[in-house]
Amino acid sequence: MDFTIPFSTAAEAVGAEVIRCKNREQAIAYLLDQLKGSVLCPDFASGKRIGLVEKLLQAGVKPICSDFRMQAASAAAGITGANFGIANTGTIVLESSDEATRLASTLPEQHFILLDPAKIVSDGIAAVPHLRDLHQRDARNYIAYITGPSRTADIERVLTIGVHGPKRLHILLVSGISSDFMEN
Amino acid sequence: MDKNRSQKYKARIDQALATPKLQQALHQFGDAYLLSREKAFIGHDFEALRSQIAEMKDDVREQLDHYLDEFCRNATAAGATIYHAATAEEANDYIASLAVAKGAKLAVKSKSMASEETHLNVALEKAGIQALETDLGEWIIQLAGQRPSHMVMPAIHMFKEEVAELFSKETGRQEPAEIQHLVEVARQQLRQGYLDADIGITGANIAVAETGGIALVTNEGNARLTSTLPKTHVVLVGIDKLVPTLEDAARIVQILPKNATGQLLTSYVTWIRGAVPCGETSKDLHIVLLDNGRRKLAASPDCRDALRCIKCGACANVCPVYQTVGGHVFGHIYIGAIGIILTAFYNGLDQAAELVRACIGCRACVAVCPSKIDLESIILSLREQVGDEEGIGLGKSLVFRKVMRNRKLFHSLIRAASILQKPVSRGERTIRHLPLFFSSLTEWRTLPTVAEKALRDQFDDLAQPLENPRYKVAFYGGCANDFIYPELGVDLVTVMNKLNVLVRYPKEQNCCGVPALYSGDKETAVAMAKQNIDALLKDDPDFVLTTCPTCTMALQRDFVEHLADDPAWAERAKRLAAITVDAAGFIVNQLQGADAFKELPGSEKVTYHDSCHLKRGAGVWREPRALIEAAGDELIEMAHADRCCGFGGSYSFTSHPDISKNILNDKIKDIEKSNADCVAMDCPGCLMQIRGGLEKQNLPTRALHTIELLAQKLRR
Repeated sequence: MDFTIPFSTAAEAVGAEVIRCKNREQAIAYLLDQLKGSVLCPDFASGKRIGLVEKLLQAGVKPICSDFRMQAASAAAGITGANFGIANTGTIVLESSDEATRLASTLPEQHFILLDPAKIVSDGIAAVPHLRDLHQRDARNYIAYITGPSRTADIERVLTIGVHGPKRLHILLVSGISSDFMEN
Repeated sequence: MDKNRSQKYKARIDQALATPKLQQALHQFGDAYLLSREKAFIGHDFEALRSQIAEMKDDVREQLDHYLDEFCRNATAAGATIYHAATAEEANDYIASLAVAKGAKLAVKSKSMASEETHLNVALEKAGIQALETDLGEWIIQLAGQRPSHMVMPAIHMFKEEVAELFSKETGRQEPAEIQHLVEVARQQLRQGYLDADIGITGANIAVAETGGIALVTNEGNARLTSTLPKTHVVLVGIDKLVPTLEDAARIVQILPKNATGQLLTSYVTWIRGAVPCGETSKDLHIVLLDNGRRKLAASPDCRDALRCIKCGACANVCPVYQTVGGHVFGHIYIGAIGIILTAFYNGLDQAAELVRACIGCRACVAVCPSKIDLESIILSLREQVGDEEGIGLGKSLVFRKVMRNRKLFHSLIRAASILQKPVSRGERTIRHLPLFFSSLTEWRTLPTVAEKALRDQFDDLAQPLENPRYKVAFYGGCANDFIYPELGVDLVTVMNKLNVLVRYPKEQNCCGVPALYSGDKETAVAMAKQNIDALLKDDPDFVLTTCPTCTMALQRDFVEHLADDPAWAERAKRLAAITVDAAGFIVNQLQGADAFKELPGSEKVTYHDSCHLKRGAGVWREPRALIEAAGDELIEMAHADRCCGFGGSYSFTSHPDISKNILNDKIKDIEKSNADCVAMDCPGCLMQIRGGLEKQNLPTRALHTIELLAQKLRR
């Protein structure tokens, strides 16, 4: 079943920016247009598949691909893939046991995510078998459900975006970049 | 009772009541919460979801050691170090020693109520380690030197100006009181903390036995940084957070944010298992499993359901007492209804002794609890324990044990009161002023007098010319109907006769026992249950009718519970429960009789107030509305129709009259805004409160019991 529309609606409702890309080139073009300053680019399967790092380099953007701990605090953005999405809440599931993935998705003010729309399940309960598969594959896990940008309502209950985590969350839906829920 | 403790508690109430801004904030939040919560649950069956949570949590309680073993085995296999802390001290000592051993100077923390419970920050400071709270709300109250006033929104009691002042001190600049700016200040100020800290401390919303991992449900992203950047991660988690499988965890994740803040899902749910990579090495992960009273709670048959709690805070969000005084009064470390219970077990019954009386018993919390905890019943049983341990006060004890159990004495004294009150009532039906130290009781509502002739003393004179009645019912009047509003009993006969139902009034009936029970004297309540069962079943009535929902709950629920283990009484209590029904419900459901009131003359605008125990106890709220509309009146819904009116029996007279007054004022405002000519309700207690409030404020709106409304129409 195609969950692109409910996923997009739910993600946008919580402040994520969803970009439905026609092809890989459009995704790269969007990134190049948006990226300002240094960008953390951890190693991830769907990124490799579209030659992300090379394309950024060709366009004159120098992605940070190593030494993440030293660089993360000053980076302007991070790019990661996604293991899969959850439609009814607009959630991205990102296996981020790899520390670079974690740093790229927590510290910078902007987080760009590449998600293949074929990898979206209906709801949190339908996500469990995949969550279990990830637990069975790896002995240790750090798996993040990300739903919109960082938010708080701790001062006078007024919803405010971007307190400790990313202030902007861009979800780029790109078909044909991954069909495997076990990779991102 | 501890006088010093009581005085301090009363001072806290006074202080909270003198802060109208706090009340305004909590009321606004309560309103917004209900709307977003309703929206969040669209397409979900809340009852089904919460039944699943309750069942799963009960299973964990029953097999706690089994699931704990499974959790520990899996966590250890993934490289975590487990520590079992029996007490708060043990937990603190372990964490502080670990920090010292690592030469730590700074620990960053994400929000953890368990660490509030153990006062971990104090223990760390003593060991020379700075603890830095990174959740925005927690940081604010840490800077203010306070404790959280809400489990999910710790600084809900504070305003942006106060926050700006605190932040200005921290930055040394004058920070403007703009929320977006203040949030940015927190981001900048706390960022370096994550990078510098030697240890990150988090709680856990869930611990999953199947994986040995934990889940953190958060919005800000600070828990992700806290659990990622420092080399050591300490998880402090109560053993009540354990669930068997990932499916169970997913169900909690599904219901928790919806019920906590009306969010479909929080920004982040983070599943962490084991010693994940950290820099060049692996994380040093320590999981401290905290008991600190949880096993004791599990062993208490009356209270153990409280262990189902998933800490959403909804019981506070909807609580009229919380909305009036806030979490610094209505709570200790954990706040709201669940806070009262957890305080009793985690911090000692003494710490909860005042709080168990602060619950008004409206059951608003029970209706929204995502784990189906009957919070009110548990609080009542704790009140009983406090009553047993500390006594309920000599005056009350004397009244309940010596007077109320002796029906004849009790009723003679009430009759005597109807004569003694004459100097203040001046022969009127309401008292507008009371002299001397009673005066505060009539400052904000008039009080009804004790009727000159009780219902029981005039009932036999009522003619009931029915040749072939459809049913013979016994009327259980309760004290208010019998002695204060006997006319309501007469009205019931008028209405029932119209429907060809014959009403009897068994004279040996006594008070339902709820006042004694709510004051912590269960023994008296049990004695009265037996008296009433005898009296009401005597002539084998088809039904027993009530006009007071608190009495209804006593007959339908409490008597059965009191006598469940008494073979001589259990069956009879069940029989009485089965045939007890409130008058409005009886007319609509048993008699299908609403049409009998059609085409009666006169129509006015009527708004309806749901009595707590009728709607959330007996489940009756459609029926009276159906009757009002059938009778040709225009039904106008007021805002917060099912919010408590603040009566609560002795709550409004002796234990918490000031809180009661505030809750009543909220209700009066809602009634006024509805522009109705009349407010109808189905409870003599609510009637006393609302009628008294309307009269005192000289408002023209009439307050009537639905049965009175129908009878008045029939007589026109």
